[in-house]
Amino acid sequence: MPSLAAAGLTLLPLGYLARRATEQGWPVVTDLLGRQRTLELLGRSLLLAATVTLACIVVGVALAWLIVRTDLPFRRTWAVVAALPLAVPSYVAAFSWLAVDPGFEGFWAAAMVLTLCSYPYVYLPVAAALQRIDPALEEVSRSQGLSALGTFVRVQLPQLRFAATSGALLVATYTLSEFGAVSLLRYDTVTRGIYTSYRASFDRTPAAVYGCLLAAVTALIVFAEYRTRGRGRYFGNAPSRRPVVLRLRAWRWLAVALPLTLAALALAVPAMATVYWSAKGSSSAVWDEVITAGWTSLRFALYAGVACAFFAIPLGVLAARHRSWLSGLIEQVTWVVHSLPGLVIALSLVFFGIRLANPIYQQTPMLIIAYVVLFLPLAVGAIRASVAQSSPGLEEAARSLGDSARTAMRRITLPLALPGIGAGTALVMLATVKELPATILLRPTGADTLATQLWTATSVGRFAEAAPYAAAIVLVAAIPTLAISRWSRSTSTLEATQ
Amino acid sequence: MGSVLSSSIFARLIGARRTVALIGIPLLTFGVAGCGAIGGGSGDADLTIYSGRAESLVADLITDFEDSSGLEVEVRYAETPELAAQLLEEGDSTSADVFYSQDGGALGALSKEGLFTKLPDDLISAVDPKYRATDSTWVGVSGRARVFVYNPDEVEPPKSVYELTGPEWAGKVGYAPTNASFQSFVTAMRVLAGEEKTREFLIGLKQNGKVYEDNGVTLDAVEAGEISLGLVNHYYLFERQAEAGDTPLNTQMAFAEPGDPSSLINVAGVGILEGSDDLEAAEEFVTYLLSDEGQQFFATTTFEYPLVAGIDAAEGVPPLSSIKGPKIDLSDLDDLQATQELLAEVGMI
Amino acid sequence: MVPLDEHVRSYPVTDPKPATEQGLALQVRGLHRSYDAPVLRGLDLDVCQSDLVAVLGPSGCGKTTLLRTVAGFDHADAGTVALGGSFVDAPRVFVQPEHRKVGIVAQTGALFPHLSVARNIGYGLDRGRASHRRVDELLELVGLGGLGRRMPHELSGGQQQRVAVARALAPRPRLLLLDEPFAALDSTLRSSLRADVRDAIHAEGATAVLVTHDQDEALSMADQVAILQDGQVVQMAPPRQIYEEPVDLNVARSLGEAMVLPGRLTEGRVSTALGWLEVGHRSPAAAPGQPPDVLVLLRPEQLELDVASGVKCKVVSTAYFGHDGLIGLIPAAAGAGGLGLAARIMGPSRVPAVGEHVQVGVRGSVAVYPSA
Repeated sequence: MPSLAAAGLTLLPLGYLARRATEQGWPVVTDLLGRQRTLELLGRSLLLAATVTLACIVVGVALAWLIVRTDLPFRRTWAVVAALPLAVPSYVAAFSWLAVDPGFEGFWAAAMVLTLCSYPYVYLPVAAALQRIDPALEEVSRSQGLSALGTFVRVQLPQLRFAATSGALLVATYTLSEFGAVSLLRYDTVTRGIYTSYRASFDRTPAAVYGCLLAAVTALIVFAEYRTRGRGRYFGNAPSRRPVVLRLRAWRWLAVALPLTLAALALAVPAMATVYWSAKGSSSAVWDEVITAGWTSLRFALYAGVACAFFAIPLGVLAARHRSWLSGLIEQVTWVVHSLPGLVIALSLVFFGIRLANPIYQQTPMLIIAYVVLFLPLAVGAIRASVAQSSPGLEEAARSLGDSARTAMRRITLPLALPGIGAGTALVMLATVKELPATILLRPTGADTLATQLWTATSVGRFAEAAPYAAAIVLVAAIPTLAISRWSRSTSTLEATQ
Repeated sequence: MGSVLSSSIFARLIGARRTVALIGIPLLTFGVAGCGAIGGGSGDADLTIYSGRAESLVADLITDFEDSSGLEVEVRYAETPELAAQLLEEGDSTSADVFYSQDGGALGALSKEGLFTKLPDDLISAVDPKYRATDSTWVGVSGRARVFVYNPDEVEPPKSVYELTGPEWAGKVGYAPTNASFQSFVTAMRVLAGEEKTREFLIGLKQNGKVYEDNGVTLDAVEAGEISLGLVNHYYLFERQAEAGDTPLNTQMAFAEPGDPSSLINVAGVGILEGSDDLEAAEEFVTYLLSDEGQQFFATTTFEYPLVAGIDAAEGVPPLSSIKGPKIDLSDLDDLQATQELLAEVGMI
Repeated sequence: MVPLDEHVRSYPVTDPKPATEQGLALQVRGLHRSYDAPVLRGLDLDVCQSDLVAVLGPSGCGKTTLLRTVAGFDHADAGTVALGGSFVDAPRVFVQPEHRKVGIVAQTGALFPHLSVARNIGYGLDRGRASHRRVDELLELVGLGGLGRRMPHELSGGQQQRVAVARALAPRPRLLLLDEPFAALDSTLRSSLRADVRDAIHAEGATAVLVTHDQDEALSMADQVAILQDGQVVQMAPPRQIYEEPVDLNVARSLGEAMVLPGRLTEGRVSTALGWLEVGHRSPAAAPGQPPDVLVLLRPEQLELDVASGVKCKVVSTAYFGHDGLIGLIPAAAGAGGLGLAARIMGPSRVPAVGEHVQVGVRGSVAVYPSA
């Protein structure tokens, strides 16, 4: 039941888009779709998504390999640091880079900032998967005369495919829906077109048509990813031995350059910019307000995380245990909705909320529902992977001992999937802390979060006032990020079922 | 064994009550949240305002209004276009009574959709018809002029904004193309001079100019000597001057010759929503904005132009009547779409 | 549950236990199940109270499907399953696994990794003092006294299987199902574990079905062995009987090394390349009045070397295992046509050299089957 409710909720934005797109008749739709600018925007969106995804895969896999499989100096520290850029909202990163260089703009700027902010989506699951690959396979490969690199390419990479693809899906959908950074860095995408359409002409039809286009493109991507996942099963037969660590010898200190550069670009630049703004500006934030906003952010994040987990558990179990066209469809729809810009989701919930749920409209429950619609697949993915890791034989044993299917789920499967549930909850919390457009439109009046306060300050150019909020977002978001990196090291919670 | 080990430890830590927690927490969450644990719900207040103007600009004004009227006011702040879109979706069910917009374009768009109720004539007649809707659905409450800010040691201000595309201005001009006021100015140029001439101008400006994030940064760049001239709104200069105190700024302000699109006057304004359930309170707010007290606030605090005749702008700000901007109906500036496409086409945004 | 109606057993039961006396713990009738291809084709199986029945068959013959259907994790396409006289799977009847009171022991144990050994064993019990006593009792029974607080990953593979057996026995199931429970263990561990598990099952008085592809396991543990071939039970009998009197040669081969010699029946004896042999078991098709040409089943342990009255054979291979050995032989007489024989010799016996000629005799009587 909760799963159906959640699935129904995620359909709302799609229904809204379809209605808005066609309300001026089909000729308007076909005209918009046929315009050169539409194709151009789509091309630019796809180019950015492809570039960022590819870059994230390269960076994420390389980093994971260095950290898990080599004697990189300070690997334990890097293992944590490498995940932290997730805590930096892309708009904060973009602002920071603009502070360093006002001319920092365009495709490469956007691609770089988005890669820096989202490569941990690939790094985390790949690192977890690397830890699980049976070292015996490598030894066989090395004994057959392949070099360390050759072994990596021919033996390990194929086994990392599923982990990398599921991370890549996160990156791709995130890039397609991202607005803050592409807008600040002046790179036009479909999402930016959607915002422009709302902002410039107050005309909802082009925005909705673009939204449908984005949804259609994502549906293709998600479907492709779903197909590559295949029907195989994976039950966590963790290797009994620790992974083999490759000695880098003289390369050791050179290899540190990679995590060091990433940390500098993704973490140090925003940190420096924050300090710079604080020092330069005359405005300043009231600490009480920062703390209040931080608490509000954290509370919303907690509600959203728990609510998503609540809905995602049945969906994740369904996806892992009873794969059918229906569970597949539900999962894919949630992903498609996830790729829509927050503003579109927010407006669709405005549309439905004020008509169907007026008592909770612009109240906390409505905002939490919006977060569920936005971030549900993050939790479903993590929970699905961790449920798939525990053998169905355990549930059968429990049932033969007198448990009903539901009881077996409660006593056996869910406790075993707890790290995955935790990681899923944390992923949602992380995304919630950074979320802005839906929060602004649907929050209870007067409830200021870190993100809305940051917006309030930057919208009037008070960067010194904004700085503590930016820092606070990163700090608050770092909590779930650390939780994710911890839990995904012990299980492959971010990873797709193999 | 890693995963097995960690999950067993995890399970031990959490103990037997984990399942209760798993199911219980979300229910509890919704229970607590449902009781309205946060903030006052809409409807508690006498008046709900959707404000596209920044909190830092108008919060004091609204507090003053609460004090003088005894009404309780709730304000939801967001960007003007987002709020306009939200109001369009909310339709008649909206809890908003008043929409306070950063510019006339959004007000025009909502008016077209029939979302506003007519304002009583005696309420708005004090405002120059140029700065309110012809059908009385919205009224401007404060104005801002597009101006040149320049460093007099470096350059003489141009007579027309079109001069800025000339080679003598290469590398000397700063502007903020994502800024809504800049886009209004470009829209005005399109309306006055046509697409082709506007495109030529934008291409020329792009060659000569430097892009800044917003008006404030553009002004700072002139003040710092990075550029010689910036296209901004007038009040930024007065804000800076107020912050600098007695220290004279390096920057001065100038208008182009009469009729030039660069001297456009933009307004911030309000409309009362058709769905308002407290018309009286809403009208009281509009009345307050147009009262001496309200208009004085704009003149002295935000350095904008009061739009009611008889209230003077802040000291040093050239009187509104002296600015000979382009002859244009502000409601015609609601089509920013083509402007933004043009800006995107020439690569400015 | 629906009362059981009587069906006729369709496979030959050579030792009909008095079913009415002990009652049937499990009755399977006409069980059909197909996935992409048919797996079970009209399988019948009866298990009496307190019996340990081994279902023996090669991999892919449907053993696991049978177990899963009985346990309730799979359902029959056709046919019925009854436990203790009540249908649990029949047309319009399906009893959920948790209500069947059927314990299972999986190949890998399937211990709950997040629960201690004691909590694993007590999983199916109501909580309380009685359950603690029962857990301790079972820990002792499977030889793991004092290890209740360990976590599963702290146990060896054999210990994990012992826990799995104890866990399945704990709620006193009507039937215990063991799915190749020793397959993942090494051979030395296996035999002692087999004996212990059999003793534990008997001590509990439990009824059990063990599926396995290992004939040693089936023969050494079970009270009854059922041979599963092509989705049907082709024979069920006590171990010794089924080994000595298999219903056909396929069954014979599935129970161990089998040699098949052509022979000719005359008056209760059969003439073969190894001389005249006593006929012990005769399949119905090789009964008197049928053609005299038959096939004779011989087991390697029936051949004796260095028997004065034996037939002369040439040694072609030797394999020495310590406790015993296997000698490959070809009858020296012309006309024997390259017939390959194997003799099992006991450890301390003389091992002949390859190429040597030995006199080979036959111990005991043989079973005969119709030729072709």
